Amino acid sequence: MSAQKKKAFQIEAFKHRVVVDPKYAEKTWKILEHAIHEIYNHNASGLSFEELYRNAYNMVLHKFGEKLYSGLVTTMTSHLKQISNSIEAAQGGLFLDELNRKWAEHNKAMQMIRDILMYMDRTYIPNTRKTPVHELGLNLWRDVVIHSYAIQSRLQAILLENVRRERSGEVIDRGLMRSITKMLMDLGPSVYQDDFEKHFLEVSADFYRLESQEFIESCDCGEYLKKAERRLNEEIERVSHYLDARSEVKITNVVEKEMIENHMHRLVQMENSGLVNMIADEKYEDLGRMYCLFRRVPNGLVLVRDVMTSYIRDTGKQLVTDPERLKYPVDFVQHLLDLKDKYDKIITSAFSNDKTFQNALNSSFEYFMNLNSRSPEFISLFVDDKLRKGLRGVTEEDVELVLDKVMMLFRYLQEKDIFEKYYKQHLAKRLLSGKTVSEDAERSLIVKLKTECGYQFTSKLEGMFTDMKTSQDTMQGFHASQDADIADGPMLSVQVLTTGSWPTQPITTCNLPAEILGICEKFRNYYLGTHTGRRLSWQTNMGTADLKATFGKGQKHELNVSTYQMCVLMLFNNADRLSYKEIEQATGIPASDLKRCLQSLACVKGKNVLRKEPMSKDIADTDTFLFNDKFTSKFFKVKIGTVAAQRESEPENQETRQRVEEDRKPQIEAAIVRIMKARRVLDHNNVVAEVTKQLQSRFLPNPVVIKKRIESLIEREFLERDKGLLAQELDNVLKLDFQLLNGEVSRQLLLLLSAGNREEYCEVVRNSIAVGFLGYRRSLVTAISGIGA
Amino acid sequence: MPLVCLSSPEGIEALCSDLGVDYTDVRILMLAWKLKAEKQGYFTQDEWQTGLKALGVDSLTKLKKALPELEKEVEEPSNYEDFYIYAFQYCLTEEKQKSVDIESICELLNLVLGVQFRPQVDSLVEYLKVQNDYKVINADQWINFLRFCKEISFPDLENYDATQAWPLILDNFVEWMREKQS
Repeated sequence: MSAQKKKAFQIEAFKHRVVVDPKYAEKTWKILEHAIHEIYNHNASGLSFEELYRNAYNMVLHKFGEKLYSGLVTTMTSHLKQISNSIEAAQGGLFLDELNRKWAEHNKAMQMIRDILMYMDRTYIPNTRKTPVHELGLNLWRDVVIHSYAIQSRLQAILLENVRRERSGEVIDRGLMRSITKMLMDLGPSVYQDDFEKHFLEVSADFYRLESQEFIESCDCGEYLKKAERRLNEEIERVSHYLDARSEVKITNVVEKEMIENHMHRLVQMENSGLVNMIADEKYEDLGRMYCLFRRVPNGLVLVRDVMTSYIRDTGKQLVTDPERLKYPVDFVQHLLDLKDKYDKIITSAFSNDKTFQNALNSSFEYFMNLNSRSPEFISLFVDDKLRKGLRGVTEEDVELVLDKVMMLFRYLQEKDIFEKYYKQHLAKRLLSGKTVSEDAERSLIVKLKTECGYQFTSKLEGMFTDMKTSQDTMQGFHASQDADIADGPMLSVQVLTTGSWPTQPITTCNLPAEILGICEKFRNYYLGTHTGRRLSWQTNMGTADLKATFGKGQKHELNVSTYQMCVLMLFNNADRLSYKEIEQATGIPASDLKRCLQSLACVKGKNVLRKEPMSKDIADTDTFLFNDKFTSKFFKVKIGTVAAQRESEPENQETRQRVEEDRKPQIEAAIVRIMKARRVLDHNNVVAEVTKQLQSRFLPNPVVIKKRIESLIEREFLERDKGLLAQELDNVLKLDFQLLNGEVSRQLLLLLSAGNREEYCEVVRNSIAVGFLGYRRSLVTAISGIGA
Repeated sequence: MPLVCLSSPEGIEALCSDLGVDYTDVRILMLAWKLKAEKQGYFTQDEWQTGLKALGVDSLTKLKKALPELEKEVEEPSNYEDFYIYAFQYCLTEEKQKSVDIESICELLNLVLGVQFRPQVDSLVEYLKVQNDYKVINADQWINFLRFCKEISFPDLENYDATQAWPLILDNFVEWMREKQS
């Protein structure tokens, strides 16, 4: 017997492979395959979900997932091939229908199949990174059905054809279209885009290109825009009904480009119906439509705005240079206001109050209003007219409205100082003749001007109001101080004007009638008695008088006349006829004023209290004047005085302008000095820019005039030209007795310096010092190291 | 050194003939500059003596010889501007006078700038005689004539910019030139 080692008890594995019944997998697969067939053949009701699920589960469990999956693929593919054939077989309009139906069925089938194969979906597939069942179903549908040779192109063609038909007005099955596009989206956005959307956009572009060409040849601008808008809305609606939402912006871009962008210029400039005509005819709806449509394309609004701007500028320019218009300043300004209103309305109602359009309007008005140098005068005349009579009986709010509108025009003026001059003149006349409609309105305007231009602008104007008030008090005091018998003589009313506040008037000669002189003296004494150190001078060219006159047949009238006219008329108390020369002699009134005065007394119908021989229109030195016995008027009170502010004649206008130009010179100089004091050193361009900025609230200074003022200031040694850095260095160098160095070197250095060649310059100097030229000074070294730095 | 009485224009005339130089020659002006003479047509004793010392001469003959040197010295860039300004001030004969009449300016331009800037001077003189805006020229305008000749290319006037600080008279001159050229 041998010594046998005791071995551990081992359980050995089977030496043969233990398998489930090999036919098991095949059998199970066959069951499932059959189920899939049934499902596709609409016989699913006979199937047991539980059993099928279990089968699939077992297959995967026993490691037959591969077989299951590949079987699934094969089976589905073959079914889909059949389906594909049946779809292809469908004729004409039934194609889409069939496709849609089959798609719905396929989805239902996929649902069921996936439920059955859920276990594989959750375990085998993730592990092997294969496509999940649902997705597989979609991919197979896509590859086998949709991308099948026959179906792919036919589908695309039919979809596009439907769109085309709908665009030409036919009714199509939108629901069906919806389902199909949804199907494409489900298959993947790239499928939707590549199979449909891309082509849809191309074809649409062609369609609209053609249509827009047709329209533009046959429609006017307004009609075209209506059509374009309609098409745009149609497309948006189309998308909402049966396309993917993301297609909206793409298709609208196509329409915008083809229908609007490509024809922008032609539309805007269309004769008789383009933008310019729309504005002129106030076609708010069309303009609004244009705005909305053009907003959608790049530079659309820029184009509209530019064309509008040049139109406004051109028409404005025509208006302000039209000599007919310029004869009637008040109407002229009213016309400007009406224009502004018109454009404002267009911008608010049609251009959605777009700020850039507002700005364009403002700059256009500023441009053309300042083309006419008399705009400031005219605006003042307009205001004068309003404050004299135009605003009579108008409510406070409406007054404010009118004044605000005037202020808007005022803001556009570049020469506000000219306006100020005229305004002062006109205001003076209004105040002195007591012809202002409402003192509140006057004051309100002053406040607005003050807000706009600052205190300086209005301080003198306010001074005028103060004088009027003070004069009232003075008159009261005067009358109280006089004896009762003064009531027998002429009644005097004096306004005492402070010289600085009122427009400067030349002192004119005029011999007041004796009847007046007395009381005038009394007033003078009274006033100077209470105000020492003042000088009074009568402004005979600004006064008025009321005369009681009795004519031939005893008709009595009260004549309201100017002081000059009074002087002339009073002469006829002592004479029935007087020659021009005699009148001139007696009154001492300057010739041009006298002629104007006589003209208004003798040559105006209804006011001719004097007769003239000969009866010509103009006043000649040789004329004779007679008291007009036969004067009649239906009014008791006859106004003859020419007191209303008139548009200046050309020579007067020139004179005023010259005076304003003279006033501007010290203002410019003051600005220059202010700026230079602050900045110390400044280059010419910046000086001009700063001066312009400082003065812009009053006027726009001419750069040439600024230059002249600068030169004048230089001559008077307020300013000097800066010699520049180089010159200063030269000065420094020269001061250091450079000539002690070698003459040749110094010449060389100076050449370098004037050529601006700093580096070489320093090099030469350093070398010279190194070589040890005689006579250089320590200060030279410091100076040079300073320059070289 | 025998001194002629120089305190009078006649004296200077005599000096000129001795030097063989015309009274109106620019070198006399240069001499005046070197002597730092204050009054046109006169050299005072002091000026004469200091000036001669500066020139390093002590006789008339030496002075004559020194004239070319003097010319060179004046033409040095550092001295030229100084001389140029001096020329203007030399013409301010009255007290408190600040400007020089156009006639004299034209002559002065010819004298001082004529050699170096002949074409500019010719045009400028022509313009000054034709224009009406200015009857006299002040120091500021005078110095800018030199700057103009030095800095502005002529006759094309390409680099002239009227928006710069050039005096108005030069703006007008350039405009006049451009009009002539077109």
